[in-house]
Amino acid sequence: MTTEATPPAAAPGPGPRALARQRRRRAAAHFWRQYRTHRAGLVGLAVLALFALVALTAPLTVGSDVASVTDAPGRPLQGPSGAFPLGADRYGRNLLGLLVWGSRVSLLVGLLAAVLSVAIGALVGITAGHFRGPWATLLMRVTDWFLVMPTLVLAIALATVMSRSLGTVVLAIGVTSWPTTARLVRAQTLAVESRPYIERAKALGGGHWHVMTRHVLPNVMPLVLAQATLMVSLSILSEATLAFLGLGDPSVVSWGGLLQDAREAGAVSSGDWWYLVPPGLAIAVVALAFTLCGRAVESVLNPRLGVTR
Amino acid sequence: MSARVRLGRRHPEPPGRQGGRTGRERRGARPSVLRLAALTGASALTLSAVLATPLNPSPQQAEAEEGKKVLTVAVAQSVDSLSPFLATRLSSTSINRLMYEYLTDYDPGDNHAVPGLATEWKPSADKLTWTYTIRSGAKWSDGKSITAKDAAWTFNKMMTDEAAATANGSFVANFRKVTAPSDTELVVELKKPQATMTALDVPIVPEHVWSKVKDLSKFNNDKTFPVVGNGPYVLTGYKPDSYVRMEANKTFWRGAPKFDELVFKYYKDGDAAVAALRKGEVSFVSGLTPAQADSLAHQPDIKVNDAPGRRFYALAVNPGARAKDGTRMGDGDPSLRDPRLREALFRAVDRKTLIDKVFQGHAVDGEGYLPPRFSAYFWKPSAEQERGYDPAAAARLLDEAGYKKNGEGRRTGKDGKPLDYRLLCHATDPNDKAVGQYLKEWWGKLGIGVTLDCLDNVSDPWLAGTYDLAFDGWSVNPDPDFVLSIHTCDALPATPKRTGATDNFICDKKYDALYARQLAEYDPARRADLVKQMQSRLYDLGYMNVMAYPNAVEAYRTDQIAHIQTMPAKAGNIYGQDGYWSWWSAKPAASDGSSDDSDSTGVVIGVIAGAVVLAGIAAFLTYRRRTTAEDRE
Repeated sequence: MTTEATPPAAAPGPGPRALARQRRRRAAAHFWRQYRTHRAGLVGLAVLALFALVALTAPLTVGSDVASVTDAPGRPLQGPSGAFPLGADRYGRNLLGLLVWGSRVSLLVGLLAAVLSVAIGALVGITAGHFRGPWATLLMRVTDWFLVMPTLVLAIALATVMSRSLGTVVLAIGVTSWPTTARLVRAQTLAVESRPYIERAKALGGGHWHVMTRHVLPNVMPLVLAQATLMVSLSILSEATLAFLGLGDPSVVSWGGLLQDAREAGAVSSGDWWYLVPPGLAIAVVALAFTLCGRAVESVLNPRLGVTR
Repeated sequence: MSARVRLGRRHPEPPGRQGGRTGRERRGARPSVLRLAALTGASALTLSAVLATPLNPSPQQAEAEEGKKVLTVAVAQSVDSLSPFLATRLSSTSINRLMYEYLTDYDPGDNHAVPGLATEWKPSADKLTWTYTIRSGAKWSDGKSITAKDAAWTFNKMMTDEAAATANGSFVANFRKVTAPSDTELVVELKKPQATMTALDVPIVPEHVWSKVKDLSKFNNDKTFPVVGNGPYVLTGYKPDSYVRMEANKTFWRGAPKFDELVFKYYKDGDAAVAALRKGEVSFVSGLTPAQADSLAHQPDIKVNDAPGRRFYALAVNPGARAKDGTRMGDGDPSLRDPRLREALFRAVDRKTLIDKVFQGHAVDGEGYLPPRFSAYFWKPSAEQERGYDPAAAARLLDEAGYKKNGEGRRTGKDGKPLDYRLLCHATDPNDKAVGQYLKEWWGKLGIGVTLDCLDNVSDPWLAGTYDLAFDGWSVNPDPDFVLSIHTCDALPATPKRTGATDNFICDKKYDALYARQLAEYDPARRADLVKQMQSRLYDLGYMNVMAYPNAVEAYRTDQIAHIQTMPAKAGNIYGQDGYWSWWSAKPAASDGSSDDSDSTGVVIGVIAGAVVLAGIAAFLTYRRRTTAEDRE
């Protein structure tokens, strides 16, 4: 997911298509060269790659059996030892295995929620910027309303009302965290739409759909991408928060869920640090990695940021 | 019988006396908000759990400095109502116990009936007329004398006003007439003999106060303080989910309590309550998790009390909820009405593992219905009757009953659809969730699907009958009448719109006949035998599957409480007793004053540490922002 993903398929014939492909390859290479200069971004990327690898290979390394309570190998709340490097949880399950297994849910929910949130934000932002008038006013007032609502409280309310499942959590986070993206995208849309080529496209008979998808969307895409990367870390934190508050699906292992289990089992007051610290650190590290990447992407794609670095 | 309480944590605790539904309702939706405040960043939780304590309102602090001896108890279960006519949860019935004296009390040693408001009682020859001698010279907390008329008014109100019978109606259902011929004489005439006449767990309220109440169904007794009472403590303040404050009744006939004030302080988070106990901010915490109990056991000045509980922890099956008028309610899965299916489900439950892993030994294996602590009534299934753990037999039963596995390995019902049940659990109860996980896996191996439906407020689906299976639990009184009565047809709601006393919509003619016989049986041995037969019948029905009798695991500070009465005296619990013994008997420790100082030091240090951390974060953020701004220029 580097630069824009919209193929200007309107161009006729294979020639222009090949040209476009070339241009995109060049842009990607340019992007990578720029990105490479951000050391923090590279560190973030490396950490993310590591976590992605761990999450994707989890079925091979630990397997879903690690989450089984009936076959738990250890004693409840057993401390770290050779067989259990991070100790055991309240059911006697291997915490290291759970940590690895939980990364799948945490990352998945984080990514899905971020995509949902950014998709809603982009849709609202582009349409509000494009149509203006009463429609834009209405949309922006809705955005403002969501903006002033405390996100977490709204997400808790949603997660409480709906059934407890991963989908609910994704929805609760996605539906509550889009307003910032909408505002950003709208501003960019307004800027793009005031350029002369949009006027020309309109004069040549380009409709709303054409203008929004062929001209505005590719131009706001860098912003959207950067925003999405940043949003993932927020979503992972929100997921952990909701799970910690007991609003997740209790039978699914996630980092936030582990923290909630630890708290319920009384691990905080009895000082069973091995139950609390690893999931907490994992959340912090992944969120940090996404933020580092997001910042780097942002400064590469947004000419007004980071040029001097 | 009542509601489970859970102490700070989502730990169900022994319910108190009057019926409360345990399961349902133990907590409202509020934990999220409170916890939220403590939250902010998931990684910051350790810090927040500690910080939550100093931030909590501590109403009693001010008075404590005037040299009053204050006993602070951490509680978690919300109060449903402070009106003795309405309250059913353990938290509120325990408070009612402290506010109002009953006719008779249970001896803390061996549970036999001892004088309470009544000094003597005797039945007529036909056992249909009971005469109680009411204590003379005792006074309400506003100075008015307590007379038999107050008691008569209380009972008559419950017999005539349906709202007044909400909580304790089962005790007066069989009363024909209650009169007070003189100030010290109360006469109760019965329709049929009633075995519970020396165990009437009904708080007696002052007529001169309560006769002014217009609508008992809406009056929660929590507006004007102090509330006139005659128990060991007088209610002087209440803020929902924040605190309940009571002052010692210096004129209490059994002797004034040694503490001047008793404060029930709310901690919705178990670890926060334990942290407060460690710092001496509260003197008593109940409902500890095994991990908390273990870590507190090594702590100086703290005593952990781990005693057999008076509660059972069960898996209730929706028998097809019905109202008394026969209307079906709710949407319980009809396949659960097949006794073979219920038997198969329960035979796949390994109770021993639950005791070992979930309760970590702080519970006793559940078999019959009443906990072994009530030895006279304790019953366990015979060998051929018992549904022991045997997954192979369970699978065989299902095969024989025609619940075949489909291509995906799931059992299908008579309608060809896979069997999939909803299991109602308390979102705030870690035991429910943990046991739910085990059930899910055990039943999954059988080919039966389970969805854990963990809700903050389970009352609504529970009362509406919209569940298939549910976690259930009640505290049992020394006289088991109440917990037995909640499974009779009479307890069903009159119509689907009404609320009944029923626990789980069970209605069985054989059981009801036995219930009527035991209630009319005055001979203790014969009554105990009938009660055992009832438990046997209930067990065979398979709608109430008791899994465990959880212990009461609680801790108190020995540098604040020198002595406190457990009930029963040997290996007994402190919180949620069948009486006011614990809080009435508690003696302050001599060093109480000095430990108060260290508390406030702890709070000060905590606040300063928190402020330093916050300042650090703020400085860091400011610095960050400044650097970004520079970069942007």
